[in-house]
Amino acid sequence: MQKAKILVVDDDPDLVRAMRLRLRANNYDVATASDGYGAIASAQKERPALIILDLGLPVGDGFVVLERLQNSDTLSGVPVIVLSARDPQSNEERALKAGASAFFQKPADNDELMNAIRVSLSPGPRQPAAWPS
Amino acid sequence: MEQQTTQVLLIEDNPGDADLVRLRLVESNSPVNVNCVTRLSEGLDSLTRVTPSVVLLDLNLPDSHGAETFRRVMEHAPNVPVVVLSGQDDEALAIKAVHQGVQDYLIKGNISSKHLERSIRYAVERQALLRALEMTQKQQLDFKNQFLSHVSHELRPPLTCIHQYVTLLLDGLAGAVAPDQADHLKTVLKSVNQLHAMIRDLLEATRAESGKMRIEPRCIALGELIQQTVAMMRPMADEKKVGLEIAVDQRLPLVHADPDRVLEVLINLVDNGIKFTPSDGAVMVQARVVDADPSSVYISVTDTGRGISPESKALIFERLYQDADAVDNNRSGLGLGLFICREIVRLHEGRIWVSSEPGQGSTFTFTLPAYSLAKLLAPVVTNNHRLRTSFVLVRVELTPLLVPPRGNWKQTWQQCLEILRRCIYLDKDLVLPAMGTSGSAETFFVVASTDMPRSGIMPARIREQLERVPDLKAKCSLTIMAAPIELPSNISGQTFSSQSLEQQVEALASHVTGMITSSMERKQLRPEKPIQDSN
Repeated sequence: MQKAKILVVDDDPDLVRAMRLRLRANNYDVATASDGYGAIASAQKERPALIILDLGLPVGDGFVVLERLQNSDTLSGVPVIVLSARDPQSNEERALKAGASAFFQKPADNDELMNAIRVSLSPGPRQPAAWPS
Repeated sequence: MEQQTTQVLLIEDNPGDADLVRLRLVESNSPVNVNCVTRLSEGLDSLTRVTPSVVLLDLNLPDSHGAETFRRVMEHAPNVPVVVLSGQDDEALAIKAVHQGVQDYLIKGNISSKHLERSIRYAVERQALLRALEMTQKQQLDFKNQFLSHVSHELRPPLTCIHQYVTLLLDGLAGAVAPDQADHLKTVLKSVNQLHAMIRDLLEATRAESGKMRIEPRCIALGELIQQTVAMMRPMADEKKVGLEIAVDQRLPLVHADPDRVLEVLINLVDNGIKFTPSDGAVMVQARVVDADPSSVYISVTDTGRGISPESKALIFERLYQDADAVDNNRSGLGLGLFICREIVRLHEGRIWVSSEPGQGSTFTFTLPAYSLAKLLAPVVTNNHRLRTSFVLVRVELTPLLVPPRGNWKQTWQQCLEILRRCIYLDKDLVLPAMGTSGSAETFFVVASTDMPRSGIMPARIREQLERVPDLKAKCSLTIMAAPIELPSNISGQTFSSQSLEQQVEALASHVTGMITSSMERKQLRPEKPIQDSN
């Protein structure tokens, strides 16, 4: 079975390296980018199944990236998990409104993050179960 | 040096006294401009239009007397210096005025122009100094808060990096780790987590102090939140062999509060309680209503620890306070937890306090505003000044299929709430505010008036409407339950129907609250036997 590819966008190379190790160990393919511009370019080239996105980025911050992704025909369906050191009080709602599917503040609990990735990647129930009465 | 004209607002109703003061002012050498009014209202009016250099104030005016007069002037124009003009016989009052922030006082009939000029000049100077001091203090506070906020943000990335690599090693993702190495790494991880909690507290406290802490109050059933707290703290209590008990008043009203914040306060208090209670002791969480204050709910956390000294009691909610005895045996706190609790409670317009005897344990109590269901219910459950005859309570629960929920969950459930609001009859059905819990499921309640027994119709209609929400089925499961609301046959020993409409609505609201509360706790809904008050 083909591995799902995850694009990790963060300007801290040490963090990217650690994420790559962990994601590979969880059986994902990993692509990386370190700024806003690179994130879009990489997303178009690599066609990831999911994007992990930092907010504070050079050359177009995370919100700019979210907006670009939403406006793209080919990328708007790709789930984005925001992983940022920023304060959730002023950023979580904004990120979700901009199209992110989850917000994690750094340092995030690894199990919760991996769970959110699994959830975002799992296909929705195709034949929805009948609602119990 | 050119002297600036001193603008004087003279508030004095006695024409003789006013003329005398005016004369003394003119006699002095400095340029002065006097605006004289005879009533306090005119004075206050003038103060809203122009800001004088100083106010000369007689305390007994046609529309205000005594202390009230200077209080109102200072409230109205806190930055303008006030000099009180006092008679021989009320010097005591004038002294009191000085204690409360008036710059000076002069005894009428005893005023020389030199004296007056000097008094005014000093009043103006002192007020300017005071204002500069306040400004500096504010700037310092702002600077400190900005600094703290900046530092805590900058501490996060390196901490994240340490966290990442320690967990990588611990999880064996960088090769096998020997058992004692794993132990060492766990110690590092524990410290990283402590540091993380401290940074979070620091940011939270800074936010509270600079007035940037926000709450999102919702309607909550407190019992459920307390159970959740206890479930979360149970492992810590068990490990220390400390008992953890709950006592919640059966007839507790709903409260209007931010569930995540209240959970934060509860966890903080219970955590402290367990920390300071020796093995075989107990911590008890209580929630109750106090007869004298029915608009609040009282929540308290009692421990059987060593108690708090009277000196510490006064300071315990202050920033950075640490009990001298507590510092050595745990290094896990900055002394911000109770400060944050106090600020959260304050934002809810509640109070928090502690009562304790050294050696006897302590009780921390806080209040939250009760949610008045009766007020919400009154317009829909009454018709022509009479209570409608039968009601049904419908419970709608949306549980996300995946945790964490996919997409913007808040938007999804708010959309459902909107639809619910549209599919009821506004004049006889009521969708209660969405119940706040800390979990991801959302629960709504609808009180529907059923003039004929149609309790089955309402849930069916709700289901039909909600099923039209696009994608809803892919996101969550929907559970709808309904139960008739059975009215008590009597209240306080009198037949229900003989009660005033207001009392009937109160009784209905209280009964509905009971049904909602137990439904939130048990995740079920069933008609309860109405409580008969036989007194």
